[in-house]
Amino acid sequence: MELTLFIIVGAIAVVTAVMMLISENAVHSALFLVLNFACIAFFFLMLSGAFLAMVQITVYAGAIMVLFLFVIMLLGAERLRPEQNPRFPWMVPAAIALALIFLVTVSLAIIRGEVGASSRQIEQPYVRAVNAVDQLEAVDVYLDGALIAENLVYGEASAFTPWERGRYDITLYPAGADPVAEEPLATAKVDLNRGEAISFTALGTRADPLLVVADEDLRGTDRSDALRVTVVNGVRSVERIDVVRGTDPVASEILIDDLPYGAASRPVLITGGTTDLSVFSDGVRRDRLMTFSDRTLTPEQGHLWVFTTRARPDNSFDNVFLSLESNALPSFGGPTSIGLTLFARYILPMQMVAVVLLVAMIGTIIFTRDMLAPRRVFVRRLANPPAELQAPIAPEAASRSSLEG
Amino acid sequence: MEPPEVATELYVLLSAILFILGTLGVLLRRNAILIFMSVELMLNAANLALAAFARQWGNLDGQLLVFFVMTIAAAEVAVGLALIVAIFRTKKSTDIDDLHLFKN
Repeated sequence: MELTLFIIVGAIAVVTAVMMLISENAVHSALFLVLNFACIAFFFLMLSGAFLAMVQITVYAGAIMVLFLFVIMLLGAERLRPEQNPRFPWMVPAAIALALIFLVTVSLAIIRGEVGASSRQIEQPYVRAVNAVDQLEAVDVYLDGALIAENLVYGEASAFTPWERGRYDITLYPAGADPVAEEPLATAKVDLNRGEAISFTALGTRADPLLVVADEDLRGTDRSDALRVTVVNGVRSVERIDVVRGTDPVASEILIDDLPYGAASRPVLITGGTTDLSVFSDGVRRDRLMTFSDRTLTPEQGHLWVFTTRARPDNSFDNVFLSLESNALPSFGGPTSIGLTLFARYILPMQMVAVVLLVAMIGTIIFTRDMLAPRRVFVRRLANPPAELQAPIAPEAASRSSLEG
Repeated sequence: MEPPEVATELYVLLSAILFILGTLGVLLRRNAILIFMSVELMLNAANLALAAFARQWGNLDGQLLVFFVMTIAAAEVAVGLALIVAIFRTKKSTDIDDLHLFKN
């Protein structure tokens, strides 16, 4: 289906380009070029560049082509002179031969597989760290010696950071510790694959910490009322937990079933809204461990829920429910991701382009100004005649004004 | 994500064809405005290849480059059309064969 569309639109693009070249009327040429630009915009859509497609239509097919048509009509140059007695008669066969050679070279390179179209790497993985370690106020998290979260306080998460794919060692240190000299509190291994959003969740207590790799799914959903939830079990006192919506153990909707301590669930798609959440110990769901009432679940987000406990000074425990919300990651080629890349990594080229546009504006004014300058001098002379032109009007001045007027 | 149905090679081939057509227009047509349109066609062919490679590598840099090319193209068109207008005022023609300033 996609291939059929590609062939049809590609054929339209080639035909419009040829028609633009051989058309005898400049306005027709410009209109064929507009159609060609629309085909290119369609290809941008197929190449997951939605923003580019929009800019192509508005800027290229809109603004630039309007400028072309305006100049063509302004100069009255729409009728092209038929090409007669070319000054360089050898140019036509030479150009066609060169074009054929280029086309054959490109086709050969493509057929022999020299375009380098083998490896595909769609999206970079994203990583962040979450601190839920009891009795440890702040932690540092390293990924193969590179710091991804510094001085992360309890209950907080660092921001998602894009990372290279590969296999990494994660290490957990108390805040401010020297990663070379000191032993880590906990370690874990992780494979980062494309498109993943991984939260390294530190659980447990200071004496017995644990690093859990929670694989969230932050791609957008096609349901506008749903959100994705990943649950990490940090409740040490029971073997496994169930998470249900509502408080009634029988009639409730089970969100997560049978999650062991120190594990992360797969992301589950649940409906948003305001709801009660309960955590039961596994099995017959008699022992309700925790209840959290009236939690608001915002749709189109990704949630990481960490259920854990926190010791009080008198050796009893507080139930802790950390809900870490993050917006779905911007999709490839969308306006958000383009804007983020533009303002994060391409701010200097953007400024340079702005300077180029300014220079172009000034250049346009200078190129078209020189025809206006003499007329302005002439008008000023008539309005403010110098002393030698005052009455009686010199005969040559009278003849010049009649010529100009 | 499954591999796309249309391979990158096909986009590169289409881009090469459009680029060649643009080059032929620049070399063979004698009208300055048409030559300018052919240059736009060449820029668009290059943009298409850039976008195809951006999808190939899963890297937005290619799409950003397309964005910059479009901006530069807008500036270039403004200056170029101003030049054509200025030339038309002196030569009363947009034919580049009339632009020889030296005597034969």
